[in-house]
Amino acid sequence: MSDRGKSGWKRFAEWVNGDSVARDPTTQYVMNRRPVRAHAPQEFHEERERLRLKKFLGLYPLAASFLCLTLITILFVTVLCIPPFGQPGNPTNNEVSRHYLEYTEQETGATNAVTGMILSYRGFDTLGESCVLFLAVSSVMMLLQRDRNNTDQRTLHRLRREDAIERTHPDNILRKSAKLLSPFILLFALYVLFNGETSPGGGFSGGAILGGGLILYSAAYGPEQLSRLLSRSLYDGVRIMGLMAYALTYGIFIFAGANGITVEMEWMMTVIDLAVGLVVACTIYGFYTMFQRGKL
Amino acid sequence: MTVLENILLVGLVICAAAAPLCKRLLATVIVYLAFSVILAVLWSILQSPDLAITEAAVGTGISGILFFLTLKKIHALKGTRDE
Amino acid sequence: MLEAISQNRFAVVAVILFGIGLLNMMLQQNLLKKVIGFSIMDSAVFLLLASLGYIEGHGAPIVEEGNVNASLYINPIPSGLVLTGIVVSISVTAFSLALIQRIYRHYGTIELTELLERAKKEED
Repeated sequence: MSDRGKSGWKRFAEWVNGDSVARDPTTQYVMNRRPVRAHAPQEFHEERERLRLKKFLGLYPLAASFLCLTLITILFVTVLCIPPFGQPGNPTNNEVSRHYLEYTEQETGATNAVTGMILSYRGFDTLGESCVLFLAVSSVMMLLQRDRNNTDQRTLHRLRREDAIERTHPDNILRKSAKLLSPFILLFALYVLFNGETSPGGGFSGGAILGGGLILYSAAYGPEQLSRLLSRSLYDGVRIMGLMAYALTYGIFIFAGANGITVEMEWMMTVIDLAVGLVVACTIYGFYTMFQRGKL
Repeated sequence: MTVLENILLVGLVICAAAAPLCKRLLATVIVYLAFSVILAVLWSILQSPDLAITEAAVGTGISGILFFLTLKKIHALKGTRDE
Repeated sequence: MLEAISQNRFAVVAVILFGIGLLNMMLQQNLLKKVIGFSIMDSAVFLLLASLGYIEGHGAPIVEEGNVNASLYINPIPSGLVLTGIVVSISVTAFSLALIQRIYRHYGTIELTELLERAKKEED
């Protein structure tokens, strides 16, 4: 297989997928060589391993419980010394929280101090967290996606049989109740998502409920229906655009806000809110569909 | 209010202790979901409605679905073992 | 002693839950139960954090317009931290469950001792 005539991007994609073939024979030889093993007698080796495992399994529970109990004792003694629960004068309730409560509405336009805080004052925290979600769904895709490398005939057969059973014997209770409920759940999710600045909710809760609604919709109308609406490329696009819109808007927000330029903060908060919600919803729907079918 | 709080806290500890002691994995997951429901009520008692909504959606709904799908894939539910 | 416990009941329960989760994670043989122990540890940390921000008699941090009096509301910072933490914990759980599915597909078991034996046999 010659690499000539392939674009650099294609080769890079192959390298990422692990399909690439080494170019020069030396590398290929080194890659194909099996590691050298010591040839001790088989029985000796097995006996030693079994002894080691036995010793480990005998000692491990004792050591683990001792460690846990020590840790719990230390934590318990510490907890008895911290200031009493729920007093206004506790050291956690300092001027930072007072500032957030007093100036959130004025500086960010959000009356819900929690949403205002996580989307504006602590937006970098939330940005990093959105990246964590993005990476988590990517890793779950790597582990569970069915492609030609990890699918055998038996799995395909079983999946086809399950689909056939579902088509001939649909679960009527689930279908009817999900059809009835999923529009209301999606509506509630949008309400929580867009109204997060003035009432409890915001990007995270709204996105989680939106993902739950998508899951219910997928259960009610069958996975094909939703994958026609939300194809793989659209899904990836929404996921990436959500993260990038967040980064861009928050960058503008931070730099403009820090330099004292007055910008309309309220629409920015809405955009950030929506971006977080989309990322969370895509993450949760991605988990479900990867666990369920192994493809979008 | 304090009485309700104490009852919920005791229930939390009981659920957490009982969940991994169940023999069947299905029972373990269901007791863990009960743990999440109690936690969601506790968040609303602690005056954090945002947390209550998120916990109710994520801890009870989504993680329940993921656990059940995993149980199905590892053939721990009745009738899912093929052949 | 009893008074100290009842004053800090949320923190004490959080420590107990943390201990239960840690014990489960270290001593259970079943990988799924290990994951549940991990989730319980997560919840314990969240409970401790959220209880630190609570102030008795104060309301949820949704500021009324024109009535900006900080002594009416609870501390919003722990709530925000826990909110991000809950969503991260679900993604960690999903990732570990995906790993469990792959392990089951390869070795056919999720009991740790059997798993180690089969892995050892396969290696030889």
